[in-house]
Amino acid sequence: MILNALSITMIFIGALSGLLAIWGGISSLILYRKWKRPAAPEEKSSLEDRSYLILLIMVIVLLVRLINWPLFYVTLQSFISDIEGAMCIFGVTQVKVDLTRFSETLKPITFFLIGGWLILHVLDRATKTSPLMRRKLFLLSIISLLVLIDSLGDIFLILGIAPESLVSCCTTITDILNRPTRTTPESIFGPQYAQFLQSIFLITHLALIGFVGLILRSKKPRRAILGFLCLFSIVNAVLFLLSQIEVFAPRMMHLPFHHCLYCLWQYVPDSIPLFAFFSLGTFSVGWGFTTELFGKHGETADLLPIYLRKIYWFAFFFLSASLMMLLIHLMID
Amino acid sequence: MASNKRWIALFVIFVIISLGSGCQGERKSIEGRCDYDGAKIEPLYAVYFTFQDGTEKKFCSIACASLSFPELKSRIKEVVVVDERSGTKINASQALFVESEVVTVPHVKNRIHVFANKEDALNHIQTFKGNWVENPFLL
Repeated sequence: MILNALSITMIFIGALSGLLAIWGGISSLILYRKWKRPAAPEEKSSLEDRSYLILLIMVIVLLVRLINWPLFYVTLQSFISDIEGAMCIFGVTQVKVDLTRFSETLKPITFFLIGGWLILHVLDRATKTSPLMRRKLFLLSIISLLVLIDSLGDIFLILGIAPESLVSCCTTITDILNRPTRTTPESIFGPQYAQFLQSIFLITHLALIGFVGLILRSKKPRRAILGFLCLFSIVNAVLFLLSQIEVFAPRMMHLPFHHCLYCLWQYVPDSIPLFAFFSLGTFSVGWGFTTELFGKHGETADLLPIYLRKIYWFAFFFLSASLMMLLIHLMID
Repeated sequence: MASNKRWIALFVIFVIISLGSGCQGERKSIEGRCDYDGAKIEPLYAVYFTFQDGTEKKFCSIACASLSFPELKSRIKEVVVVDERSGTKINASQALFVESEVVTVPHVKNRIHVFANKEDALNHIQTFKGNWVENPFLL
């Protein structure tokens, strides 16, 4: 284990949120099963009191887990100097390849689910009768399981990264000619794949912003349209990653043959807000859909359009901001 | 409407921050680093490409230079490498290249060593189970 303030913080957060996730997950599942049954007023009141306590504690845990995603990368960055052969986060990820890959996949999923759940929670709290309580409790028990797995992953990973480990860094993997990020688009678009990739991403990104704009203008957007938009944002995210690796990152770094996104964050630090804006914008499109999917129930039906509007404004703002930052970079470079 | 204005104001601030803080300042931190992957250059293992227009590119290792070489070959006038023993710069065509168990630049696992003197190269081959390799920068 590499001992520094960040690794200790990660383990502390992992242990605490893991334990609270076990408690919160089990408690919310029990409450979920009891909630629908007819009960005496005293019992009902006791259930409500318990649910408020669980929700209060779990909201704090979930907020901490939201911060945990960027903290994870900051911690890996802090390990670079202790790993022989690592010149960026990629090198650190090579010490425990499978576990790191697992954590890197799980974290955005957890982030998305937590964000979606928190929006539902805020929506439900704006009502007088808490019509979403049962759904919230059920979803919370699922999210708690993911939080537990994620927390355990963090703890094992941080404990498992030994100092003085010898690794190869990104150059030997991300820059080879038969990398999948090159061969896949090349097989579709031919040798000029980079230009196609760049154009297609810019078109889909602009289209996504346009669609979100249209959603903002419509008074009652249909669920199917929101679902389509959610899928479209996933396609756009895949294109974003591909175009960043193959086209934009080398250009922004002024290293035309180097395709490592971790190096991009290191050498061009304002690409970090660019990625953050893009992620938040894309997630917001998904959150709009999940809120519509799970949030329409009784009293919330009237509030839902207002909340959806706010979420899609959020998406519109962050997607536009990320595009603007990218274009400014390309123009100045 | 007021909240929309707040969003727009935030957006403009981020754009200004991006313009102000980004780009040119960041470029400086990459200058002096490997022109392939941006890694810090250890002068003993550096490789220099001089182009026909007089400009130069520098690399942290034989591995990084070899990866860039095929794309840049047509424009290169001269390739300069560094003798591992003395630290002096020599033309790649006059250098001797040896591959051995010893890693010089860990992040690319570079095992190719450069010597100006045949005796030093043979000594390295015997000590570290090495073998001769061809000059990777044949123009």
